[in-house]
This record gives sequence, structure tokens and C-alpha cells, in this order.
Amino acid sequence: MKLTRRDILKTAAASSAIMALNGSLPMLQDAAAAEPDKWVKAVCRFCGTGCGVMIGVKGGKVVTVKGDPNNHNKGFLCLKGALMPPIVYAKERVTKPYIRKNGQLQAATWDEAMDLVVSKFKTALKEHGPTSIAYYGSGQALTEETYLASKIWKAGFSSNNVEGNPRLCMASAVGGYVTSFGKDEPSGSYEDIDAATCFFIIGSNMSECHPILFKRVAARKQADPNVKVIVVDPRKTNTARIADEHVSFKPGTDLAILNAMAYVIIQEELDNPRFYGKYVNFMTNDKKKVDFKAYQKFLKDYTPEKAEKISGVPAEQIRRIAKMFASASGTVSFWTMGLNQRIRGVWANNLVTNLHLLTGQIGKPGATNFSLTGQPNACGGVRDTGGLCHLLPAGRLIKKASHRAQLEKQWGLKPGTIAPKPGLHTIALWNAFSEAKIKAMFVLCTNPAHSLPNVNMYTEGMSRKDNFMVLSEPFMDAETVKYCDVLLPPAFWCEKRGVYGCSERRYSLLMKAVEPMGECKSDVDILLDFARRMGVDPKVIPFKTVDDIWDEWREVSSVTPYNFKGMTRARQEKESGIRWPCPTEDHPGTKIRYVRGEDPNIPKDYKNKYWYYGYPDGKAKLWMRPYAPAAEEPDADYPMVLTTGRVIDHWHTGTMTMKVPELKRSFPKAYVEVNEDDAKELGIKNGDNVELETRRDKMVFQAKVSDVCRPGLVFVPWYDANLMINKLTLNAFDKGSKQPEYKICAVRIKKA
Amino acid sequence: MITGKKHTLTGLQLLIYVSCSFGFYLFPGQVNSGGLNHLIPTDDAFDCYACHKVATPKIAQNWYESKHGVMLMKCFVCHGQPDGKGSIPWTVSPDPKAVCQKCHDPAMKRMEAKFGINPDCVKCHPFHQNSLHHDAYKKTQSKSQ
Ligand code: SF4
Repeated sequence: MKLTRRDILKTAAASSAIMALNGSLPMLQDAAAAEPDKWVKAVCRFCGTGCGVMIGVKGGKVVTVKGDPNNHNKGFLCLKGALMPPIVYAKERVTKPYIRKNGQLQAATWDEAMDLVVSKFKTALKEHGPTSIAYYGSGQALTEETYLASKIWKAGFSSNNVEGNPRLCMASAVGGYVTSFGKDEPSGSYEDIDAATCFFIIGSNMSECHPILFKRVAARKQADPNVKVIVVDPRKTNTARIADEHVSFKPGTDLAILNAMAYVIIQEELDNPRFYGKYVNFMTNDKKKVDFKAYQKFLKDYTPEKAEKISGVPAEQIRRIAKMFASASGTVSFWTMGLNQRIRGVWANNLVTNLHLLTGQIGKPGATNFSLTGQPNACGGVRDTGGLCHLLPAGRLIKKASHRAQLEKQWGLKPGTIAPKPGLHTIALWNAFSEAKIKAMFVLCTNPAHSLPNVNMYTEGMSRKDNFMVLSEPFMDAETVKYCDVLLPPAFWCEKRGVYGCSERRYSLLMKAVEPMGECKSDVDILLDFARRMGVDPKVIPFKTVDDIWDEWREVSSVTPYNFKGMTRARQEKESGIRWPCPTEDHPGTKIRYVRGEDPNIPKDYKNKYWYYGYPDGKAKLWMRPYAPAAEEPDADYPMVLTTGRVIDHWHTGTMTMKVPELKRSFPKAYVEVNEDDAKELGIKNGDNVELETRRDKMVFQAKVSDVCRPGLVFVPWYDANLMINKLTLNAFDKGSKQPEYKICAVRIKKA
Repeated sequence: MITGKKHTLTGLQLLIYVSCSFGFYLFPGQVNSGGLNHLIPTDDAFDCYACHKVATPKIAQNWYESKHGVMLMKCFVCHGQPDGKGSIPWTVSPDPKAVCQKCHDPAMKRMEAKFGINPDCVKCHPFHQNSLHHDAYKKTQSKSQ
């Protein structure tokens, strides 16, 4: 039955359950209506856009939020940013420590909990050495928290098993930037949006995952209708609403499209030899330096017609978008997980960057290659401070002896303290934990029992009795709580002080707005207590407060091109975010890197305009990356492709957004999005139950039939703890970045 | 994300605004929120737009084409949820101090400085109709959104 307006009105009139709403509102709403006593400056807890927020506090409680007018978001928030306060007072908040006894978590004192944690870590260290313990952190932890944990492990325990969830979302972007420029992180900034005349959005549903940046792009297009927007995505997402060209392609074939765009750009003579002739080295896939001719030869396999055969995108459309990209006065490309969560993630990143290097669409206002980060502090916390198993702070590498030595000197360590071998990357680490080769794991501010791919494999491992997991997690209903041996109650977001650094290298201070609930402690205090109890040399971990850690980080970064020296706490309290490099207290922060006159790392009288100082010859690298298929392509048994992602209402594993009544109600459970033609063929109607089966597991979802997915593709959002799509996803990973291929696996579907 | 146009409402227990007169909803500035009624909502009835594009098509379409619609600033962000148990008060006319301020504080301050305090933003700013003034956003939108 399809209801008409008349039916609805009739139903409405007949309803005996009409609600009059002049009665009393819940406490939260009373609070929301009240004028706060004070506004405290912070950053949104959710996505990597990193919007500034002002937290409204009344009577010692968070009652509302509004956008920070002085941060990049100019006062705006997206729907979930605007609805944060209820999360703080969720009934599921963990407010005291717990120890698992006979399978049940039982309340304990801090001393009991920490004594147990320390005894487990000490035993592991004594019996199996530093490679048997691990820290698994988060792109949502504060910069100071990750820096501290990484230092405790790498300097205090000589263990490089320091990983975190950014491996699952940003590692390929890191790999892309590092291979192309020798240094991580985007070179441009959000201001490039305001000057761009073409946006190339690939593998990113900005509108739902980075809404405030999408708003800025939409506003740019509204201000100038000639601005072109290209959205390359096998789903016709809300982002595609503002697109001039929506390029739908067979999942995984974007590498061929990107190479074909390069082919067209050269063929149409829209390339910029003056730029690449001076600033770019052409590199084969096996790292040999070649010339432009060799690149042209390589591209012969990617004529638009050949790419059409691979990708299903009409050759004409490839030509159109290539010309748009190259001929605009300024092109900004944006990408996120669609490129990163792939076994060819680094290659895909390189291929986007290639287009910028080939056309010179880089290093000037409105022209940049911009990877959007998923989490609020993946860039600022983990990538920059070196919170991964192969990194040291400020872009230095564990495998480089000179980098280790430099840092050992800065940290006042005995030479050789930092182990020369990188630790285990995320998938290897959880494999090792599942085999109880990692004996003790400290998990902080992340929910791996929900977020790891092929997650059944790992939750099985987490259930073992012969490995130990301590978890610092604010919400009792987070999936990982089911598996931890000790649960610690951390202070949440507004209850502590520290820094978040967003996608554009902007670091903003979150000031403490309210006291922690119950017995909660900030993760910095938890980690300092842990280090003290573990007997880590107090000269290595001399910190008393979170501000001490920040000051050391500023110092440690100052000998590198990252340089945070000028970003003092006093400045951070006053200003709403500063972009590094920021070498001195009077430096305003950097909008564009690698450009003379903009980047403070380049002398004002440097001979060239650009300097890609990440490589000794000062040149960026253009990589010839071939198209190669996904790890698990559809076949006769599993004929469709499953992809996963987000909806605007929920963030990550939903442990926070599910606490907001409006957001929970908006998307109470995960669903499967099916293309209308596929649905017809399979006899599936909107709202039907549909079984999805991959080689790993099967699960039933309600169908949403639409033309959002292209035929042959189904999409499931991953936030729902009751319908965890990660039981079905694949844990194959990129050889370079070690990031798993969440975005593509083979699936079969049928009406349940 | 918005469910499909072809979304059949079968099985959904419906969720809808009903006021003394539908007219007032079309002219939101003229009536205040007292006596706002709605069918009792259920767990299934989570998509305001799905019902309202049938029940109040003009309002739903205005929203969809407005900046708030393009941005997916959904109904509940300003109006709360029908069972009144949400974190935002359930109302036809959102309180600017409680709701609009979250994003529009700088503009509200500017207006206040210019014209003095006006508690009713909606009188001059028809937020549902604040559409994007050219057709740039219509070209490639999903047929079924
Ligand atoms: S865009 Fe991201 S950072 Fe900004 S308010 Fe929304 S969720 Fe928060």
C-alpha cells in the first residue's frame, strides 16, 4: 500500500494518541533553553573537519554547544556537532574502574585495577620481552595522550608496538603523501576552497562525512555558478547533489580512470611542463627514475576508451572531467576512505597527486591535493606525533638510524634505547593478540571489537584467557567492553584539556569545561599513573600536567619541518586554532606548504618558488601506478560488491551518536542500500529483509531500494553494534600502508 | 541520507505533524507552537521527510531544496522529535536562543546590533525556503532521493 497525503491526514485525525506538548520537558531540554553561565572553547568531538565549538556550561554542567565563530567553521556546526551535549550525561558512561572476574566486569578501585594492569604488563615484559606488549590508540585521543603513550612505549619500554585506529583510515593517505612529497600531511588548507574553481571529489561522501567542508564547497559553487564540481563515486550520494559531473564506476577501477585523466590532460596539452620539468621526478612502480616520455608510454594503456572498458565510465565523460580538472584556474581535490581503505590505497593517493603535479594545480590558492581525515585528531594526534609502529614524532622513521639517534638525544635517552625494528601494524598486531603472542594490550579511546575488518576473527582472539586487554572507554555499551579484562573510566571530551589537530594541519586547544564524572580521570593522568607504576624512569616521563607534554612536543618538533615551537599554550588559549609549521610566537601559521613566501621552512631568498624539501633534490615524485583489481573481486558465487561507510547522523561505531535521542531515532539501525534494478531482478522491495553473505559471515538487513548504489553494488553503514557489517568485511590490506580494504569485498544477497 | 521517493509507507506507523490547521504550518511565522500535535511515533517512523513529503509536500520540498536540505540539517535538529523525549524541545517554532544560535550566533549578534533584539528570526528568514538560487544542485541529484 502506498499512502497518500489524504490517508495520512485520515490516520492522523483518527489517532487517539495525539500528544499535546505544552507539558514538562525532560531535564536536558530545560537545561538547553537556559542561558549558560559561561562558554568554553573546544573542538567538535566527531569528524576530521575539526570545527571549533563553544561549550555552554551552566551550574557545572554542559547544557548546549554552538559553533566557534573564530575557528575555520565560522560558527557553523553540522547536525551531529550541534547535538553533542546529551552524550556527556549518557546513562552508559563508565564512571569507575572494573575488573573482569568469572567472566563478569565487577567494580574495583583505581588501585586494584591499576595493580592488576601493571602486574600483567610486568609479567609479559619479564617473560616475553618488549615485543609482547602493545598500545592501541586512537585518532580521537588528544595529541598529548598519543605523544605520551608513544613515548612510554618507545622510550620507556623499548617497544615499538604502538598502533591505533588511524591505520584503518588514514595510513594510505600518509603513504601517498610520503611517497609523493617525502613528508606527510596536506600542503594546502580549507581556505583553498574559497579560491577554487573546480572541485574533484573522489572516494569521499563529504556531505555526510565532512558536512561543514561540504557546506563551504556548496557555498563556493553558489557564489559562482561557473565553479565545477566533479564527484567520482559508485554511489550517487548527497554529495553528488551539487555535482556537475557524477562519475559512477565499477568499484576498484578508479586507478584506471585517474591514469586515463592524465592521458587526456597530456593529449589535450593541458599539462604544465614548466612546473613538472622543474619540480617533479617521474618514477616507475619499482622506484626507477625515468623521463616524461616513459610516462607517456606508460599511459598508452589508459586511453579513455581502454579505461571505459575497465571502469564502465564513458570515455567522453573521462575526457570532460580531465579537461575540467586541468583547465580550471584552481582545482582542489578531496578524498577520504574511498581511496584509502583499499589494497591499492597508496597508489590511488599517488594517482590523484599525479594529476596535480602534471598540471601544476598545486601550491597556489585554490589548487591543492587534499586528503580529508576521518577522525578529529588522526592528523594532529597520531600522524604528527608518530603514534604508529613505524613512526617517531614529527615525521621521523624508526627504521632510520639518524632519526632514532636524533630523537634519543632530544629525549635524553641512552643511545640504542629505541628499538631499531618497527613494531607490528594494526592487522598484524591484532593477529598476534589473537594468537596470544601479544600478551598485554592497552587499548585507549577506540572500539576495535566493532571497527576491525573481518571482526569475528579478532573478537574470538580477544575472548582468549591467555592474553590481557585493558581498555580506557567512556561508554559501557561499546562492543570492546565485552572483551576487556580491565575497564578504566576516562574523562570525556569536555572534561579534560588538550589539543586536536584537524585535516588542515590546524591545532586547536580544547579547554576543560566541566569536572570529570564519578571517578573518571583524563587519559593523560591514567597513562602517567601507568608509567609511574611500571617503574618507567621519571627522567623519561617527567610530566606533571598535560601542558608539560605539549611543551615538550613543541620542543621536539622544532628541529623538524613540522615545527610547533610558536604554538604556545597562551596563544592556543586565545586563538581558535593555528596551522603548523609555526616556528615562532609571532608566526601566524602556514596556509600553504612547500611554497616560498608561505612556508617558513623555505628561506625568503630561496632560488625557486617551490621546494619539496621532503626529498633531497627538492622535487616531488610522480608515480606510474598501474590499475590492479581489488583483493576480492565479485565472481559467480559472490556476484556483487559490498561497500561500507557512514551516514551523517552517526559517527564511527555509534557509541556517542546513539546516545543522542534525535540521532538514534533518525537511523536506529543499519540497513542495506540496494540498486533498484538489482532489487527488481532479485524480487526485493523496499523494507524487505535481505540476507547478505560474504566468505566470512552472513547477516540480515532491511533493504533500502534506490538509485544511490550503482547496479551490482550494495552499501551498509557500519555504525550499528547490533548489525556489525565488519563481520562481513575483508581484512586484506595494502602492502605499503597496511590499511585494510573495507571498501570492496564480494557478496551475495537474497531476500531473507 | 533521505529514503527513496518510491519509499512505500507500508508498515510504517506514521509520524506526522497535525495542528489545528495545516495552514499555520505553511506560514510558520503566524502561529506559535502551543498545541502542536503529532501522531504517536514508533521506532520505525524515523524519517520525518518520508512522511512529510506526502503529508506536507510544500514544506518538505522547500526544506529539501533549501540550504538546510542540501546540508542535511534534518527536521529534528530544530524541531526536536515528536515524542518530546529528545534533547531539542519539540516545537513548530524553534527558540532561536536554544536552536538557531548553535550555528547562527554571529549573524544573530549582527542583527541584534543593527535592529535590536527580535526573538523571532523566522519572521524575516524563512528557513525552509532559503533555497540555493540557481539550478546548480538539481542536475545530478538521485532520482529516488
Ligand atoms: S563537520 Fe565534523 S567537526 Fe564539524 S560539526 Fe560536523 S561532525 Fe563536528
